[in-house]
This record gives sequence, C-alpha cells and structure tokens, in this order.
Amino acid sequence: MSILENIEKILLTEIAVGLADKKIDPEADLLEQGIIDSLGLMKLIDFLEKTFSIKISDEEIVPENFQCLNSMVNLVQQHL
Amino acid sequence: MDFSFSQDQITFKESAIEFAEKVLNKGAKDREGKCEFNRDGWEKCAEFGVQGLPVPEEYGGLGLDILTCVATMEGLGYGCKDSGLLFSLNSHIWTCESPLLKFGSEYQKSKYLPGLCNGTLIGGHAMTEPDSGSDAFSMRSKAEKRGDRYIINGTKMFITNAPIADILLVFAVTDPTKGFAGISAFIVEKGFPGFSTGKPLDMMGLKTCPLGEVVLQDCEVPEENRLGKEGAGAAIFNSEMEWERSCLFATHVGAMSRDINDCIRYVKERHQFEKPIAKFQAISHKIADMQVKLELSRLVLYKVAWLKAQGKRAPLESAMAKLFVSESYVQNCLEALQIHGAYGYSTELDFEKNVRDSIAGKIYSGTSEIQKNIIASILGL
Ligand SMILES: Cc1cc2nc3c(=O)[nH]c(=O)nc-3n(C[C@H](O)[C@H](O)[C@H](O)COP(=O)(O)OP(=O)(O)OC[C@H]3O[C@@H](n4cnc5c(N)ncnc54)[C@H](O)[C@@H]3O)c2cc1C
Repeated sequence: MSILENIEKILLTEIAVGLADKKIDPEADLLEQGIIDSLGLMKLIDFLEKTFSIKISDEEIVPENFQCLNSMVNLVQQHL
Repeated sequence: MDFSFSQDQITFKESAIEFAEKVLNKGAKDREGKCEFNRDGWEKCAEFGVQGLPVPEEYGGLGLDILTCVATMEGLGYGCKDSGLLFSLNSHIWTCESPLLKFGSEYQKSKYLPGLCNGTLIGGHAMTEPDSGSDAFSMRSKAEKRGDRYIINGTKMFITNAPIADILLVFAVTDPTKGFAGISAFIVEKGFPGFSTGKPLDMMGLKTCPLGEVVLQDCEVPEENRLGKEGAGAAIFNSEMEWERSCLFATHVGAMSRDINDCIRYVKERHQFEKPIAKFQAISHKIADMQVKLELSRLVLYKVAWLKAQGKRAPLESAMAKLFVSESYVQNCLEALQIHGAYGYSTELDFEKNVRDSIAGKIYSGTSEIQKNIIASILGL
C-alpha cells in the first residue's frame, strides 16, 4: 500500500467515521470541511509515527502539514 | 523497570518539603480568609528555584529533568498548605513557561523566561471563554493581522493568575475557516494597549490564587509575540495540557501523602468508647483505601512523567493520570474530613478547605468527563 493509501484508509476507518465517501480527494481541504477534529489529529499523528517509524515534532503540527492528503504524504516523505 | 528515585531526586523532594514548611505556611490561614495571594512566598519560591525547575540554566532556570521536577513538586505539595499558591505556581510553570520553552523563538525565550524564573514576572494562559469551556476550540476571540501586528478582540474567563499576571498566553482565531486548526497563540503583556483584567473572581476554593476575566479590546500584539506559526494554537494547547496533566498533579500526590500522615496521627490519639478510633475497622479501612489511592496515584504520575522524560507524547497516559489523581484526591480529602469528625468540618483545621480546593482539580485542565472522552476516543470508541 502506498503512503497515500495508508493514510486514506485510516482517515476513512478511524478518523472520519461516518463519511459516506469511499475515496478522499488528495487535494480536498480536510480541516476546512471539519473531517479531522483535534482528537482525530492526535490519533492520526500516532498512526503516522507508528506506521512509518517516524517522529513528528509538535512544531510540525500546523495546518499546512495536515490540510489535505497530499500535504500529509509530503510530511511523511520528509521524514523517511 | 525501576521504581526508585535517585538520591538527587530524593534530596530535591526533601528540601522542597523543608522549604515549604519553614517558609510558605506562615500566615496561610490568614491569607485564605482574605483571599490574598502570597507574593512574598512567590518570590521565595523563585529564590528556591521552583519557577525555573524545568527551564534550562541559560534562561535562568535549574534545567532539571522532568522526574526531578515531579519529585520536587510532590515535596512542595507535601509541605505547603497554601494550595492556591501551589496552583498559581503550577499554572505559571506548565501553561506559560513550558509552551514558551517548547515553541518560543530565541527572542521570546530570552525576553520572557529569565523574568518568569526569577519571580519578577507572573504568567498564565487564557483559553476558556464565557461560552467555550470544554469545547475550547469553539472560541470566539479573534486575532486579525494588520501590518506587523495582530489586533485581538475577545473575552477570556476563569484565567488563573490573570489579575496578577505580567504575561498571558492568549489563544485566538486567526483563520475562522479552519476550525481548531485556525487558532493561534500569542504572548500578551499586561501593558499592551487594549488588554485589561477584571477583579479576582470569588471561587469555592483555591482562595489565595487570583483568577479572573481577561478583556481584549482591539488589543495590539506585535507579530514577534505570536507563539509558533499561525494555526499552531491547537498543537500548543494540546502539548501544554499534556504537560499540565502529567506534572501539575504531583503537588496533589504530595498533599495526599501529608493528609494520610495527619489522619494516622489523629486516629491513634483520638479516643472514643475507651479506644483509639484507629481500632475501629470502619476508620482503619478508610485509611487503607486512602493509602491505596495514594500509591496508585503516585504510580500513574511517575509513569507519565517517565514517558515525558523520554520525549514521548502521552495523551492517553496523561488523561488517565489527571483523571485518577484528581478524583482520588477529592475522595481522600472527603475521607480525611470524615475521620476528623466535627473537627474536620471546622475551619480551624484545613480538612474542609482541602475538600474545597481539591474539587477544582476535577474541572481545570479538562474536566473528568473530558478526560474519559479522550481515553475512550484513543481506545477507538
Ligand atoms: C480553578 C480553575 C482554574 C482555571 N484556570 C484556567 C486557566 O488558567 N485558563 C483557562 O483557559 N481556563 C481555566 N479554567 C477553565 C477550565 O479550563 C474550564 O472550566 C473547563 O475546561 C470546563 O469548562 P466549563 O467550566 O465551561 O464547563 P463546560 O464545558 O460548560 O461543562 C459543563 C459540564 O458538562 C460536561 N461536559 C461538557 N462537554 C462534555 C462532553 N463532550 N462530554 C461529556 N461531558 C461534557 C463537563 O464535564 C462539565 O461537567 C479554570 C477553571 C477552574 C475551575
């Protein structure tokens, strides 16, 4: 599974539960749409750190890194 | 697994107990009656190094590891009967200094940390608003960028240290389209135009800790006083809450330990029906239950401090620690009062005050219900 698919899967199954869509547009603004809340973001970061064996610092938890699927993929790639 | 403190940590704890008993308790009862903050005690704490415990030496602190900070705060909690002063100190350290240290620019750290450590500056953080408490990110306060400054408008409520604070970390919305991710944090000085505070609020307990409203009316904050990037407010808030939930309750653990010792002494001395009341199982079992709560509180507190010392995030563990220690403290305070009978209910002794003070712990830093929500959510519920 690619990085994008991995993140999309956790978003659809754990974070944005109830979202009718089966796919997420990689450029869709998930913060603006309220798909990720603050607890969801905490869980997402924990998932990214464990799945990709990376360490995301608190300073990196800013909107530009979590706005959309593509920005999350970029963040992960910077750490690999 | 090692459950013991190092000799250094024990020394810090013991000297904190001695310092608190000698220096901080004089006149505490009187100040409680007058709802008076112990400014002299605050300065003495700074001389002892309390405000600078986790702050590196280059910024005027002691640069201690987090377990040593926890051991020292536990000692203070044991020795100091002025819970209001301890609460002021805790808010100052964990919700102002600690985020400044973690997210601050070099300019911000060297401008504010030395004063926060040496006792000349008092800090706090302002998140809660009249209409947003548990749902903190639904705040209305707004910060609008104009040239090289932000103009903040809004009202903050129940802010610890507000009436005496020199700087407050104020959270406000910079991008209303982004929900929690549109919040930013600002270091606001009391002298900034448009900043004012109300008079101290009359609360049930923690009477010696001034707590109040903050009004920001076209408050001008220079851009260099934004903490972290725009939109980093939620991450800063979550990080500081995690620190507070992990470390603030060390003073509660210290206080629980002192209360148990007081109870043990009392039940051996107090005779009814020609026996020390300690001989009644209904009483001795209360103390046994209190000791179990103390021991488990210690373990959960040390575990989370140990996780933080390793640079780990601990949202689940800090929520569990906060929930367990604060609830246990209230229960132990109620039992200590009951064990002392009418003397416990009298304001001559501190047991009724301890009950009033302890209840605040179930509310600030996220209520018990919110901690359960966090735990459940992390468990996937
Ligand atoms: C002593 C003290 C010091 C404080 N210091 C500060 C400070 O320095 N800075 C600051 O910003 N704030 C401070 N606060 C405010 C504190 O953070 C809030 O009081 C707290 O977050 C709860 O908000 P609220 O009081 O508005 O209660 P509400 O959020 O209105 O909650 C009312 C009740 O509903 C429950 N509830 C709410 N939402 C849920 C939910 N989703 N699920 C289940 N139950 C729910 C709560 O648990 C509570 O029992 C302080 C409060 C106290 C008591």
